[in-house]
Amino acid sequence: MNLFTNLESLSLYLPELMAVFLILAIFLSESLPNYRHLTFNISIIGLLLIAFTMFVVPSSNKLLFQGMIVNDSFSYYFKYLIILSTFSVILVSKKDNSVINEVKGEYYGMLVIIMLGMFTMVSAKNLLMIYLSIELVSIPSYIIAGISKNDKESNEASLKYVIYGSFASGIMLFGLSFLYGLTGSTDINFIANNLITNDNPLTLYISILFILVGFGYKISMVPFHYWTPDVYQGAPITVTAFLSVAPKIAGFAIMIRFFYTLFAGSSLDVNWPELIAIFSALTMTIGNILALKQVNIKRLLAYSSISHVGYMLLAFSIVGPQSISSIMFYLFFYLFMNLSAFYMAMYMSKAYNANNIDDWNGIASKAPILSFFMVLSLASLAGLPPTSGFVAKVYILRNIFIGEQFMWLAVVAIINTVISLYYYFSIVKAMYFMENPDLEAKKSDKFLFWSIIIFSSQNILFYFYWSQLWDYLDSLVSNMGII
Amino acid sequence: MEFNLIIALSFLFIPISLFVYQLFFGHILKHNTWYVSIIGIGINLSLALSFFYRVFHNSPDDHMLHYRANWLTTGNFNMDLGIFIDNMSAIMLVVVSLVSFLVHLYSSEYMKGDSRFSRYYAFLGLFTFSMNGIVLADSIAMIYIFWELVGLSSFLLIGFWFEKTSAAMASKKAFLVNRVGDIGMFIGIMMIYFVGETHSFNLSDIIEKVKTSEIDSTYLTTAGILLFLGAVGKSAQLPLHIWLPDAMEGPTPVSALIHAATMVAAGVYMTLRIFPILTGDALTYIAFTGAATAIFAASIAITQTDIKKVLAYSTVSQLGYMVLAIGVGSYLAAFFHLVTHAMFKACLFLASGSVIHSMHNSLHKLNDHETDAQDMMNMGGMKNKMPITYFAMLITTLAISGVPFFSGFVSKDAILAGTLSHYFDHGGITILLPIAGFVSALITAFYMFRLIFLTFHGKPKNKEIHKHLHESPAAMTFPLILLSLFSFAIFFTGTINPLSDGSKGWFSKAIGNGHNYVIKVDSHKADAKHDESYDLVHSNEIHSKANSNHNSSSDNLYNFTEHVAHGTHAAHYTAMYLSLLVAALGILLSVIIYYYNKINPNSFIKVFNVLKLYDLSKNKFYIDELYNNVIYKPFMFWSKVSSKIDWDYYDQKFIDSIGKITLSISNKSTKVDYDWLDQKVVDGFGKITHFMSLKLKKMQGGVIQSYILGGLIALIVITLIVKQI
Amino acid sequence: MDSWILSLLIFIPVIGSVAMLMASNSIGKENKNIYKIIALIATGLQLILAAILYINFDPSLGIEESPFTVQVDWISSFNIQYFIGVDGLSMPMVLLTALLSFLCIGISWNIKKAPLGYFALFLLLDAGMMGVFLSMDFFLFYVFWEVMLLPMYFLIGMWGGPQRHYAAIKFFLYTLFGSVFMLLGMLALYYYAPDGNTFNLIELIKQAPRIEASLWGYDMKFLIWISLFIGFAIKVPVFPFHTWLPLAHVEAPTAISVILAGVLLKMGTYGMLRISYPLLPGEVVNFSFILALLGVINILWGAINAIAQTDMKKMVAYSSVSHMGYVLLGMAAVVSTESAGAEAGLNGAVMQMFNHGTITAMLFMLVGVLYDQAHHRWIVYPDDYEKPELAGKLAFGGLASKVPVFNGFIVLAFFAGLGLPALSGFISEALCFIGGFSAFRVLTIIGTLGILLNAIYFLRAYQRVFLGPFNEDYKDLKDMSNRDLAIILPLAFLTLLFGVYPQPLMNIISNSLNKIIIIVQPYI
Repeated sequence: MNLFTNLESLSLYLPELMAVFLILAIFLSESLPNYRHLTFNISIIGLLLIAFTMFVVPSSNKLLFQGMIVNDSFSYYFKYLIILSTFSVILVSKKDNSVINEVKGEYYGMLVIIMLGMFTMVSAKNLLMIYLSIELVSIPSYIIAGISKNDKESNEASLKYVIYGSFASGIMLFGLSFLYGLTGSTDINFIANNLITNDNPLTLYISILFILVGFGYKISMVPFHYWTPDVYQGAPITVTAFLSVAPKIAGFAIMIRFFYTLFAGSSLDVNWPELIAIFSALTMTIGNILALKQVNIKRLLAYSSISHVGYMLLAFSIVGPQSISSIMFYLFFYLFMNLSAFYMAMYMSKAYNANNIDDWNGIASKAPILSFFMVLSLASLAGLPPTSGFVAKVYILRNIFIGEQFMWLAVVAIINTVISLYYYFSIVKAMYFMENPDLEAKKSDKFLFWSIIIFSSQNILFYFYWSQLWDYLDSLVSNMGII
Repeated sequence: MEFNLIIALSFLFIPISLFVYQLFFGHILKHNTWYVSIIGIGINLSLALSFFYRVFHNSPDDHMLHYRANWLTTGNFNMDLGIFIDNMSAIMLVVVSLVSFLVHLYSSEYMKGDSRFSRYYAFLGLFTFSMNGIVLADSIAMIYIFWELVGLSSFLLIGFWFEKTSAAMASKKAFLVNRVGDIGMFIGIMMIYFVGETHSFNLSDIIEKVKTSEIDSTYLTTAGILLFLGAVGKSAQLPLHIWLPDAMEGPTPVSALIHAATMVAAGVYMTLRIFPILTGDALTYIAFTGAATAIFAASIAITQTDIKKVLAYSTVSQLGYMVLAIGVGSYLAAFFHLVTHAMFKACLFLASGSVIHSMHNSLHKLNDHETDAQDMMNMGGMKNKMPITYFAMLITTLAISGVPFFSGFVSKDAILAGTLSHYFDHGGITILLPIAGFVSALITAFYMFRLIFLTFHGKPKNKEIHKHLHESPAAMTFPLILLSLFSFAIFFTGTINPLSDGSKGWFSKAIGNGHNYVIKVDSHKADAKHDESYDLVHSNEIHSKANSNHNSSSDNLYNFTEHVAHGTHAAHYTAMYLSLLVAALGILLSVIIYYYNKINPNSFIKVFNVLKLYDLSKNKFYIDELYNNVIYKPFMFWSKVSSKIDWDYYDQKFIDSIGKITLSISNKSTKVDYDWLDQKVVDGFGKITHFMSLKLKKMQGGVIQSYILGGLIALIVITLIVKQI
Repeated sequence: MDSWILSLLIFIPVIGSVAMLMASNSIGKENKNIYKIIALIATGLQLILAAILYINFDPSLGIEESPFTVQVDWISSFNIQYFIGVDGLSMPMVLLTALLSFLCIGISWNIKKAPLGYFALFLLLDAGMMGVFLSMDFFLFYVFWEVMLLPMYFLIGMWGGPQRHYAAIKFFLYTLFGSVFMLLGMLALYYYAPDGNTFNLIELIKQAPRIEASLWGYDMKFLIWISLFIGFAIKVPVFPFHTWLPLAHVEAPTAISVILAGVLLKMGTYGMLRISYPLLPGEVVNFSFILALLGVINILWGAINAIAQTDMKKMVAYSSVSHMGYVLLGMAAVVSTESAGAEAGLNGAVMQMFNHGTITAMLFMLVGVLYDQAHHRWIVYPDDYEKPELAGKLAFGGLASKVPVFNGFIVLAFFAGLGLPALSGFISEALCFIGGFSAFRVLTIIGTLGILLNAIYFLRAYQRVFLGPFNEDYKDLKDMSNRDLAIILPLAFLTLLFGVYPQPLMNIISNSLNKIIIIVQPYI
């Protein structure tokens, strides 16, 4: 494998560079009073351009910047997901009033910075890069969590986020340093080779645990999830929507790369799958149990997103190419169903100022189309046929049978599915079965309307045919080279 | 052959089409619709006779028609339906068609002006159809099918006047009680089906199997008794007799047709059909059931004052006779009594019907709705008002009480002789069988004449009613005349010599003594059994031995039924004199008490009542109350309890609790997650965070530390766990 | 045509519901009847297709030979196929589904509340049921199985009785709980299949018995059987899982109760016969006694509870529990050493599935007709009735004279329910008993009590509601309308036909079932 010098690298690093320029552009126009209104268009166009350049600039397994970064197809997949979520969030944020217009510009900018951070995250090949990228994601996240300055809840959320985040990354840094101490390198491939001759498993354990804290907090894995509900509830809903999806995508990407590069294949007596299995069981169960009694929709969705992380961890706990692809598969659908659900909540709180389940009573009669698609999304989140959520869940579960281990985890998972059905459908019940005469139909802006419809209609479409996507992921993972 | 088949099928086809017609189009012809039915049944009757005339030159064993068609088949399991006509079924067909015909005729007057007149005829058609089905059936499954269908028609006819709650109840009771028996029969059928190698429901096949293959005798006994349970239900034997008296809620002609002549006899008929495979033990069980029923029912009949109730109980008791006859192995006598009884009991019911009818009319004229038209205590002195009815009833009463020259005498005598010979054969406890027979004969004679006297003789209890009474129209009296004619012995024995026994005459030739392929009796014992020095004990053990090795090659063995016939013949005279004696005694008693009123019944009652005998009998030995309190009510109670368990406890408490628990867990954990961390820990850390900036405190910054703490603790815990792994 | 007919059977209802959605923008605006008309047309077409299928159906052909079978890849990477076919086992169920769906549109003709939603969901439900009975690929089967949940949830929850929300979510959770276990069983079958992973049920018949694996010290085949059994047992419902049924039946609108009792319950037993039996014959043999035991418990427990019911609909619901018990008993008979017994049992079970479908449909429909006029279904007012002065009193009485035609059909339905010969209920129940008797003497003998118990509650209800003095409160009760007659006559006809001459039904089913017996017998 050949290391690229910085200069050579730039050509393959075009998307990120463009992101940087986009950020600058946004802040520039923000600072010029008579161009402020352009920030939205700029960011939209910019993102489209970035996506376009990603099409042109091919992915390659070449290591950029002396092995700091790799823009391989694996990272590209995640980048597409990330850019998609960022794009759609910005799209729906335009008309959204949970973020006041004065700060919209910097808000967009922050989103793009986070995106850049995630880009780096998914392609980081070096401990330093990993840490850096995580921070690059975190800091703007703190800011946008508290973006609505004069909302106490929002500020509190952001503060909690800051403290917990810094705690987590601190621990993580600690863990990374252990690793460095063990091997004397920060390049993970190098570390992987050196670890084979490692004679101090306990230190390794602890370093892994500490690093897990960092990742775990990004993907809000129990027991590092405490910040999630507060932040999700406190932050403006668009932010919540974004945070519930994008960081998880990036987090899983880096987890996969990190763990598989370091331990997969190598004959270390590090029983990290067991560890992940336990975390997974905890995550999905506690996420569900806590979601069960929530009356606030945002909070409910927050907890449910935790339980979904649990399902993905289930796959992660079984080493093998198909489990990676099944996680990527799941993330793809999860992005759509979760965002559509959040957008619906967004629409509700905007149009009807409805934040609790019983504020949703009788919506079906007023907004039949959106309600229908909401049901679809919820069914998908619950993993019922005929929705893609079911397919994704099946692919997650099948790992257990392929790996032929952690059968108990499968039982935990299906029980959780049944539990989750209850709270998802308590929303459906409110929407359809309950009556609320004094409720008049309200229009929603078409961005939101269509995002909901498009995002949740995939639930049904991919249910009927997902073969291509799966094959693509399969081949992608097998060419990835880290297994 | 084909022609016969068509004729045979018409016995099913005509009545069922009558049912359909009357049900859907009966209203068109108004009252005249009954002509349609009677023509149909008339045709059936003539067809029945066309089979009947062959009876005279057919031997009992050859059959006129046996046709089988496959009804249901898959691989190895198949179920045939078939038609089987031999002498017995031919005679039975005549009986059914005749009585049915007469009842159709009779009802045209009796049911005149009823709002559901046509439906009544529809149900009669349905009944005739199902009854013919039982008679013609060649397979035990088919018998069961039609068995249930007569149950249905009986249900519909008993409950015909369903506005009366009592009628509705009675019909339900009848069906359910019969079902109890049917369960036994059903199990019996299954047992018999799986006997031996080849599986079949077909009677002849089954008999063949039993004849040829080795079958565990206890298995066979059980099967036999279970099958007989069906008869216990239908023929109202103890302990399932309770439905028949209530069934009198139905119109009287129905009682005559179903609950006297035909359906209730079906049980006996079925038992006769399976007679060849009944083991000795099964027969013993049957015999005792019959005997008990006979005497039990008779003793109730004495004290009843409702004319139909008396007849009902006498029916039960007579059926007991038939069953008893089967039990003691006198096949012929049983069927003989079935036929004669069908004639005179139908006549008795129709006669009582005509009495009730005219009572009703006269009560109607007086528009008196209190007086019970069926209570004999409101009757009396009717003989000159309605002579035909009177004489018909008198003749049939003579028949049932077993007076020479009348059919009842001959058949009953045959049965009693059978019981006697059975006693000679087995001795010991079996002495009870003849005793029961004779005693109930005595009682029968007594209460039947009591009925006659109370109804037709003496002074009318109520002048007013009596004034308006008058003879029923021809349509009702004609059947009486005809049936009372058939109550003369001569029609069956073909001789006027009163002392000739039942084994003479065309009837016995037609029916023969039947066969039994399970029981074999040692021959020299069989001959020896009439010696005065007859060693009971010895024969008993031989008999039991005979049971065990029933199908060993039987040169020195002696056909059981022959043996019984032989014995019956030997016991004939003893039986006859005794029965004459008891009949005379019974009649004499009632003449003294109820005709000359020499003894006041009440004083009589007092005498008996020292032991509460009278009350017992009057209240039917409290059997209904017993069942009601011991079985029905507790069962209903428990069903309520179980439904409470099922819903209120199992579902609401247990199943739902699973959900509730999950929810409460969620509650708790939410508490832990918030209240606990928020409140407790905040308070705990509040002190530590005190010197942190106030802002932080305001924003409950402590929460964060607590979260971090939570995270750390978890981290450490897991580290420890993993250390173990 | 042959290869299209099955797909059409499944997708015509879907097309129908799509058509409704389209209509809702244009015609639906002013004319609400359009929906039920579309529904009627769709189900009608389906029924016609089913009839055509029946006419061209050759029972001697298995799935592989049958010209109707369609087998195309759906998701090749996961080896999931769109594999539908029909054999003797599914044929009667298909007919039943098509018929009942068609009639149910008639039953729900007067639905006022949100007709679009109602009929659209109903058609989806119909499609789901049809799919379950036609799928020969386990994944497809599972998909259709689950697809029905959603419409059913809404149909009960929106158009149901007072407790509808509770009933809906209970039904949903309960059945989902079952089916997730089924999902595990399915995946296990897929991955443990010795030569090549497959969902193809026909293929699995060859492979599944050879699965060699164990988990937590249990044989994998056993675990698979259990997980599948939970899934199916809840649908049947088998005794300890039966309590969702009375609630759902009572709360659901009449048409949905008909579908629930008429078709959905059968899916449980169908699933066992289609999947558990041929795939895991060894386990079937080991499990058969428990199956028979549960069957007998169902028979007795259902009947005893039915006796105590004061609500006519609840009584009928419990009667379904009891009648499905016969099916289980018959199915358990497959282990009988007497081949005649095994055949009687299994064929009887499937006949019972069909016959109970028609009979119970009649019962629910009739109760519904009465309810529409009287606005209550009490036999006697319960002790905790809102009007205490009425508590414990007879609610009706003497209706027979007032509504003779209705009474006639009630008599037919009730006596069919209590298994009167010459009505279809009898022969199938008798066969189940005969089969059961050949395998499990004592159990079956205990079970025969059901003959009596079933009679008790039907006759008591009949006597209390229709006989006795006429209750003047109902003097303006109307007899059955022509629509009611049109709905019930086909069912009554079938009840009579298969009562008098069951062979046609037997001809359809017996071949396929005897094949199953041949599969299972070697493991005894």
